[in-house]
Amino acid sequence: MTALDPAAGAMAAGALAVDARGVAVAYDRALVVDGLDLAVAPGEMVVLLGPSGSGKTTILAAIAGFVPIRAGAIRIGGQVVATAAHHEPPERRDVAVVFQGSALWPHLSALDTVAYPLRRRGVSTADARREARAILERFGIGAVADRRPAEMSGGEGQRVGLGRAVARGAALHLFDEPTAHLDGPLRDRLLAEIAASRQATGAAGIYATHDTAEALAIADRVALVRAGRIVQMGSPLEVYDAPVDAWAARLTGPASELEGDVVGAAGQLTEIDLGGVRVRAIIDGMAGPVGSAGPIAGPVRLLVRPDWANLGGPLPGRVMAVRFRGSHTDTDLATPAGELIIRRPGPPTVGVGAEPGWTLGRGRIL
Amino acid sequence: MSLALPATRRGRGPAGAALAAALALSVAACSGGATASPVGNPIDPIPSASASAAPSGAGATGTITLYTSVTQNTVDAVVGGFKAAHPGTDVSVFRAPTAEVAARIATDLASGGLRADVFWLTDPLSIAGYADLKLLQAWTPPSAGAIAAAYKTDTSFGTRLLNMVLVKGASVTPGPADWKDLLSSDVKGAIGLPDPGFAGSAFAALGYFSQTDGYGTAFYRALKDNGATQVKAPDDVTTGVAEGRFKVGMTLDNSARTAIRKGSPIAMVWPTSGAIAIYSPIAAVAASGNLTTADAFVDYSLSLEGQGLIAGTGWQPVVGSGGPKADGSQVSPDWAAASGKQKDLLASYRAIFGG
Amino acid sequence: MLRTIAGTGDGRLRLLAAGLLVGLIGIPLARLVGVAVGGGVASVESTLTDPAIVGAIWNTAWTAAVVAVLAVAAGTAAAVATERAGLPARGWLRAGILLPLLCPPFVTAFGWTRAYGPRGLSDRLLGIEIPGLFGPGGIVLVLTASAVPLVWLIVGSALASRVEPDAERAARAAGAGPWTALRTVTLPLLRPAILSALVVSFVFAVNAFGVPAILGTPVGFATITTRLYQDLARSADPAAFAEAGVLAATLVVLAIAVIGPADAWLTGRPAARTGETAGAPRAFSADRPDAGGRRVVAMALGAVIALVTIIPLGAVVLTALTRAVGLAPVPANWTLANFGEAINDRFLDGLAHSVELAVAAATIVLILGATLAALGRNGRGGGAIRTAATLGFALPGSALAIAVLLAYGGFLRDTLAIILVAYVAKFWALGQRQVAGSLDRLPDDAVRAARASGAGPWTAIQTVVAPLLRPTLAAAWLVVFLFAFHELTMSSLLYGPGSRTLSVVVLNAQQLGDPTVSAALAVLLVGMIGAVAVPLALLGRRRT
Repeated sequence: MTALDPAAGAMAAGALAVDARGVAVAYDRALVVDGLDLAVAPGEMVVLLGPSGSGKTTILAAIAGFVPIRAGAIRIGGQVVATAAHHEPPERRDVAVVFQGSALWPHLSALDTVAYPLRRRGVSTADARREARAILERFGIGAVADRRPAEMSGGEGQRVGLGRAVARGAALHLFDEPTAHLDGPLRDRLLAEIAASRQATGAAGIYATHDTAEALAIADRVALVRAGRIVQMGSPLEVYDAPVDAWAARLTGPASELEGDVVGAAGQLTEIDLGGVRVRAIIDGMAGPVGSAGPIAGPVRLLVRPDWANLGGPLPGRVMAVRFRGSHTDTDLATPAGELIIRRPGPPTVGVGAEPGWTLGRGRIL
Repeated sequence: MSLALPATRRGRGPAGAALAAALALSVAACSGGATASPVGNPIDPIPSASASAAPSGAGATGTITLYTSVTQNTVDAVVGGFKAAHPGTDVSVFRAPTAEVAARIATDLASGGLRADVFWLTDPLSIAGYADLKLLQAWTPPSAGAIAAAYKTDTSFGTRLLNMVLVKGASVTPGPADWKDLLSSDVKGAIGLPDPGFAGSAFAALGYFSQTDGYGTAFYRALKDNGATQVKAPDDVTTGVAEGRFKVGMTLDNSARTAIRKGSPIAMVWPTSGAIAIYSPIAAVAASGNLTTADAFVDYSLSLEGQGLIAGTGWQPVVGSGGPKADGSQVSPDWAAASGKQKDLLASYRAIFGG
Repeated sequence: MLRTIAGTGDGRLRLLAAGLLVGLIGIPLARLVGVAVGGGVASVESTLTDPAIVGAIWNTAWTAAVVAVLAVAAGTAAAVATERAGLPARGWLRAGILLPLLCPPFVTAFGWTRAYGPRGLSDRLLGIEIPGLFGPGGIVLVLTASAVPLVWLIVGSALASRVEPDAERAARAAGAGPWTALRTVTLPLLRPAILSALVVSFVFAVNAFGVPAILGTPVGFATITTRLYQDLARSADPAAFAEAGVLAATLVVLAIAVIGPADAWLTGRPAARTGETAGAPRAFSADRPDAGGRRVVAMALGAVIALVTIIPLGAVVLTALTRAVGLAPVPANWTLANFGEAINDRFLDGLAHSVELAVAAATIVLILGATLAALGRNGRGGGAIRTAATLGFALPGSALAIAVLLAYGGFLRDTLAIILVAYVAKFWALGQRQVAGSLDRLPDDAVRAARASGAGPWTAIQTVVAPLLRPTLAAAWLVVFLFAFHELTMSSLLYGPGSRTLSVVVLNAQQLGDPTVSAALAVLLVGMIGAVAVPLALLGRRRT
């Protein structure tokens, strides 16, 4: 999937599943979303990744039409659905929503719930039920067709909610933390269903979550959301490898921050002093921010992902903790440059208190 | 002087009787003086042209309970006067509209006996039933001699007079002179009547007309045919006439006088055939635990002093010259006859006006 | 849930509630029925075949049914409008909808006749009056206006607790327009609340006395309660007293016929409970933010409030200010003298008693309501007990007061306690139906978590249950407080020399026979109720 730069305007606006520009949303006069720009290509899955209260749900609500916007414009499939002066209600937008708490209706059975959007499109009751049953079967919950929400498990409920969204037949699906109330296996199951439904429908999606692993796994592109704004947008690899700042780094995965001193360059490698010992490594971000005077030199803060360093080597460090995680092992080191997490495949090789030394493979200037 | 010995006619327990007797004795010993009148051995007071000026009731002491539907300010005035005239007494008042007082009495009777010592009700019909049930003391208060025979029975005695009169809008000319003018085509569709089902005074009028030649319940049929409207109470008639909703109506003189005094554009018309006078009866409860004081209270309300206080609150007294005067003759229904037929009279009235 | 709180078994709670009900309602009712059949079966039969009585029963039944349907339609529409449609000036509209709660019904009826009756305000100013205000039409209209706030409270709290905004959003996102979402999702979810509101407003209308007495009598339109009152007035005649008993029993039967099936259905419903959506805005405003439509709806609602409540109240105030009836209500004829006549030395005494009684009644009803609601939640027996509690509300005040006097007059007479017994018996249902709705909202784990954190049962209630339920509990408390505060019929039968309530003082002064003074008293009463209720309501809101 191609990563799109919304500012580039490479594609016609009409072709985008969602095109939001300069959107602001306020509750009780306080701006919850401000200056939001977001473009989603047809069939693309964009994940809004941010901590609780960062405005993800509100962004979805604005796109779905649950709340009016104060400024900017939202287009869905090329059609303007919201500006400060204009507001299409949800039912007139080409969107379907999967809710965090599943939002099933206590008085309707699973079958009637999934048939509901079909009925709203004018499909006859019999046809709607037939189609709804097919959708339930596809998600493996045909057995609960006649049950009401009170008689379903959490996982079943969420799949019914997903079925309802699929039945809507929209070109855009919005997911508001649909796995929040599910435990591990159920969560993986639902994510698989979501992926399958995307393949079946070809719909674009916007998926709000605070779970990094889930975000990186499911996204075509990840948008990092802070205080109602998107602070970074890119492929999962981009946001993992090149977070724009320390906050983004911590949001996108385990991150260690070390104090270093850039001494000089040596071809592709950079020579850096970490706690009194000089090493050469691949250091990204040496060009500094756009518009800065030149290559960075002197003291820096260095982002190191757990897989960018390795145990054994010239750099000093003392093992503070060891966590065996089955497929890999995390080792916490106290070094003169700061605390560092190193992740290696396989079982632990050192114990707490050992001083195995370490080497830096790569790092990124923050 | 003679002492009231309640145990002989109350049928109460001996302990209560002894206590009451002891109390009566001790107080009588201190105060001495005037007479009380035991019913068991009545000493007929000397009939006199005027009521005794000084209230009687020596020996009165302790607290009595009064059940009444008479207006609050009137009750307050009489109770205040009584307590001043009889130091050492107190009166607990339960005042409520007629129906609530009646319900209270009925529940008393159904749950362990009457708690009241004195009944003071708005109209004679309200109290007649209790006389029939032998709940009331049969006696003659010293002050009752001055009361006209029409306004008393052997158990209850009139304290004030309500007069059912005609009322008309100030601009209505010539207006009615007598009840039959309510059937005139001049006032068709603009006549207000109080509901006998709600207002005792309205029922008294119903009783009077039903017994009087030339009227009968046919009078109400004719009123209905002339477009008469039934409202709840006499005050609602007065209000309706004052506001021009009705041209004429049937109301109580007190209601009309109050409105006129404050400036309402209405006039009161004393019917040429006489206003229907309704007396508010007071009676001592035969089973009272403090009959001496109960009797004293009844007598006080009938004395010139008590009557003056009643007149002072805007009512025509039964005795004496205070308060508003009758502007003409006064007539009364045969109360005894009317009270026996309450249900039938109301039924025939409802057949005409509904409700 | 209460089991977790109190650590007692269901059985004991149920026994306690049943015992209280027997004491509060069962024994008095039995005494009343004893009076009714005291005259023998033949007299009961002759009463019930009397065409006038049959007519009164029929009048009562059909007006109450119409009132229930209209009040529920209007109250539900108002609740959806104020709680869901994102109207401007919502706070003011809510206050306006609740305003009739401050007015005793007889004041409301009086106000309507002064505003829209013959020679009323509208007749004077515009030459128009409401045709048929005196009669069944007017009775239905005024009772509906008085019942709407009750419906609004019940449906409104259900909208908050039973209908998650996400459920409605889901409907809209599934392609339903606002009306379709209302029809297919919101209203079906509100069904239990709507049924509850139907029951409450039916019962409210069945036992209303002041309104039919003022508006029905002039056209000879009798209801069971007005007939009952007239029978009481003649109750020196034991036959009339027995007839009153028969009529009261008829009301109970009428109420059971409606409440029983409804409660049976309600008990069979699973409580709707869904998790709170973190971070999601509670207010649901999927429609055009600036649509002129909303302003129009808000203005229309405001106009209805003005017509139904504010203008009649204003008419009462004008009457109170006017020197004498029949004079034009213009400043030249204004005076404060009527208020001077209205206030006497008993006023403060009565006020104190009324406040004490209303506070005690509201608090007791709330505790009992929570107990019953918990039983209802746990299933067995809840429905029957709930139905029984509602019977107290179904009895007209005069009949209930007589029943209580018959049962307990022997030793409680003339005390505040006997009035309190009657208030609790009467208003239990009113509080309980609201509390039941809010208990549904309490997550089971909330109390368990408090207990596991070291809180004793009462600490758990204070620190977890009460704060969570405060808005609904406060509303329920306030409603019972208001009804108890302006209760007139029962207190006027039950009071004694030392236990006069404010409304008894007002009633006694009112019978002096001057409508302008009566109006002044009504204004004072409503003002006093408002002076107590409004700060309480604000306090309740601030804490939530």
